[in-house]
Amino acid sequence: MASPDFFEIRDLHMRFAGVQALQGVSISVAKNELLAVIGPNGAGKTTIFNIINGVYHPYKGKILLEGKDITCLKPYKIARAGIARVFQNIELFKNMTVIDNLLLGRHQFLKSSFLSGSFFLGKCLREEMDNRRKVEEVIEFLEIEEVRKQLVKSLPFGLQKRVELGRALCMDPSILLLDEPVAGMNLEEKEDIARFILDIKEEMETTIIMIEHDMEVVMDIADRICVIDFGVKIVEGSPEVVQNHPKVIEAYLGLED
Amino acid sequence: MSADTLPKLLLEKVRYYKKEVALREKQLGVWRPITWNEYYDHVETFGLGCRDLGLKPQEKVSILGDNCPEWLYADLATQSLRAVAVGVYPTNTTEQVKYILEHSGSKYVVVKDQEQLDKVLEVNAELPLLERIIVIDMKGVRKYTYPLIISYEEVEEVGRRIRQKDPDLFTGIIAETEASDIAIIVYTSGTTGPPKGAMLSHRNITAVQHGFLQVLPITREDSLVSALPLCHVAERMFSLFLPMKVGCTINFAESVATMQADMIEISPSIFLTVPRMLEKMHSTITIKIQNANPIKRCAYNLCMPIGGKVADIRLSGGKVGLLYHTLFMIAYFLVFRPLRNRIGLLQVRECVSGAAPLSKDIMRFFRSLGIRIKEAYGCTESTGVISMPEGEGLKLGSVGKPVPGIEFRLEDDGEILIKGGLVFEGYHNDPEGSNRVLKDGWLYTGDVGKLDEDGDLFIVDRKKEIIINAAGKNIAPSEIENRLKFSTFINEAIVIGEGRKYLTALIQVDYENVANWAQKEDIPFTNYKSLVGNSKVRRLIDREITEANKNLARVETIKKFALLDKELDQDDGEVTATMKVKRQIIEKKYGNIIEPMY
Repeated sequence: MASPDFFEIRDLHMRFAGVQALQGVSISVAKNELLAVIGPNGAGKTTIFNIINGVYHPYKGKILLEGKDITCLKPYKIARAGIARVFQNIELFKNMTVIDNLLLGRHQFLKSSFLSGSFFLGKCLREEMDNRRKVEEVIEFLEIEEVRKQLVKSLPFGLQKRVELGRALCMDPSILLLDEPVAGMNLEEKEDIARFILDIKEEMETTIIMIEHDMEVVMDIADRICVIDFGVKIVEGSPEVVQNHPKVIEAYLGLED
Repeated sequence: MSADTLPKLLLEKVRYYKKEVALREKQLGVWRPITWNEYYDHVETFGLGCRDLGLKPQEKVSILGDNCPEWLYADLATQSLRAVAVGVYPTNTTEQVKYILEHSGSKYVVVKDQEQLDKVLEVNAELPLLERIIVIDMKGVRKYTYPLIISYEEVEEVGRRIRQKDPDLFTGIIAETEASDIAIIVYTSGTTGPPKGAMLSHRNITAVQHGFLQVLPITREDSLVSALPLCHVAERMFSLFLPMKVGCTINFAESVATMQADMIEISPSIFLTVPRMLEKMHSTITIKIQNANPIKRCAYNLCMPIGGKVADIRLSGGKVGLLYHTLFMIAYFLVFRPLRNRIGLLQVRECVSGAAPLSKDIMRFFRSLGIRIKEAYGCTESTGVISMPEGEGLKLGSVGKPVPGIEFRLEDDGEILIKGGLVFEGYHNDPEGSNRVLKDGWLYTGDVGKLDEDGDLFIVDRKKEIIINAAGKNIAPSEIENRLKFSTFINEAIVIGEGRKYLTALIQVDYENVANWAQKEDIPFTNYKSLVGNSKVRRLIDREITEANKNLARVETIKKFALLDKELDQDDGEVTATMKVKRQIIEKKYGNIIEPMY
């Protein structure tokens, strides 16, 4: 693997009123690595994602992308830096088609001016075609050709999740944040998504950080796992190490009296 | 040099048509044309690549995956090297794939994608003869470390380098192919036992091209959609044998799931189909109309009887009067035309149904829409076709006259026997099996037929499947089953009655349609099993069977029935890859629900 600190979270602290949500969490991710962040409810996993995305501002600590500090940037700037996110609850435009939703993922690449856009002039047309091609590549990749022209609201949950993943992929992300990608899915849908996540990592050489509760999926596909409890990182390591670590068992099952 | 092999025909087509479109493939949402030059280019480079890897004449190459241009490239490239191409159903289970790879003794296998590759890798240790796995779509498998794997692209790359050094090499290789070479092995679907590999030579293929095209002319202007599995002899004929002869265009859908939408975009002029697909189209139309707005429903209900009446006149060979002609034209523009457009059959000129008997009701339904379905009869051992109706003349239930170039006779018990160029070369590695069906050059088809006074052939049933009831009467189950399957709520029906006093049936309901109906009727259910367990569903099927019984002779009526509480599945060994029911297995397996009916 390339540089070990491709993406780095350094000593992150976050407070909500009196609650210490994060107390000095540091995680580093190598390029093209699949890191899973696990932990009981309320451990602070989604808070980390929100800080990475620029939704929350930490009171202490830094987020570094290839050595560049991106802490507290505006969310759209962080998106442009190449960090895409798939949300826990589906955040799609339900009354738009799959294609339109995916094209939205290309929004940040639109460069033509208002004027050329109004008249659909040469450059704008080319841009439109390029974006559509990218969208079609993602459609092929995620095998959703069948539904490309359907409204998102008419699709089953599993497919909607896939469309949301597709929208993130349309951003050509260098880092993909997945917040519980298989939550609420049946076994078949889970297997599909797990396969797609591995394919994304392999084919697009994307770095993936994934929050997930489904231990089977996590143990199956993650390169490394980071366990968080009460805002503190308790263990970090390969699936085998984490699986048998006493602290992890304690965090999940509680301590025996 | 007369072109007596498929590779030679390809070369000939390339010389004529060069930059004209041979194939079309939908990629990234856009139809991408592939010219004859490009077609040949792929066959050439892949062929040279395989030769460099060490493929020798008579060795076997299996192809496993959904239809795509690469499937055809690999097929023709293999044949060019005088090796033998073996198609495998993409829906086959790992065990079934292993059986065919092992039985055929395949040296290479070309797989479409990761899904198919994983099947082969699972059993690869037990296949000592397998030397290479060539993968078309490398998505998700780039990091596999098995030494056997090579990408399709790499093989072509090797071929390109060889061609650069010796540009005329491949034409020379093709020139060496001979009519007597075995071109392909087609595995029969195997309703009664393990699949058998029928060896088909170029001589067989030439004979079938010749016979077929005399009965049903196809031209270069025609356009077809490759919709059925290519490993089946019928689809192979339409996607490969016929285009090589006449140069028509073959279209490949984006995926199996998008077939219906892609059909509409292509609107093929020639359509090869199977009864199951037509049944599905029929039930989709019926259900959609029921859910359509009242105006559409009213128009449909008004127009269908007109179409039905015209269909009856035409099917009985009569002439349609001016009144009905006019009414039909109005109905056509009002209802039939848009309807045909919705199922992608607007421009269809010839629609051929094969592989299984087609119900008369389905044929009449499509004829009402102005679509003439020709029911062809053939088997793998006859390179796909034995008889087919010619021209306009069409008798309900008849499969027409035997195609030119074959000798034809009926045995005393009605079994159909044929002789001629299209009779296959025997089963691979099974001389005993070959001797059973080939006697003095005659092919014993195992099907029972009868001829009417005009010499038109009617198929009664498979010889082995004819039921002899307790009273000693012969009953052909497939016609009864087809009557039952015409109901939109019945997906599969298996008639039972061998040695019994009366007939009964095992019914598999159409889950989608019955579920729809149940929702409207406020019947609660959670899955297939709970749906068929509902007494109202049972009554619904009872009504449907009573309806079907009206058109059957007394001895043929279904007295009792049982609903299967699961859908028949290829993985459970209950149906073949072509969805043909394995009768004996099912009768044994479901004995516990059959016995209580007697």
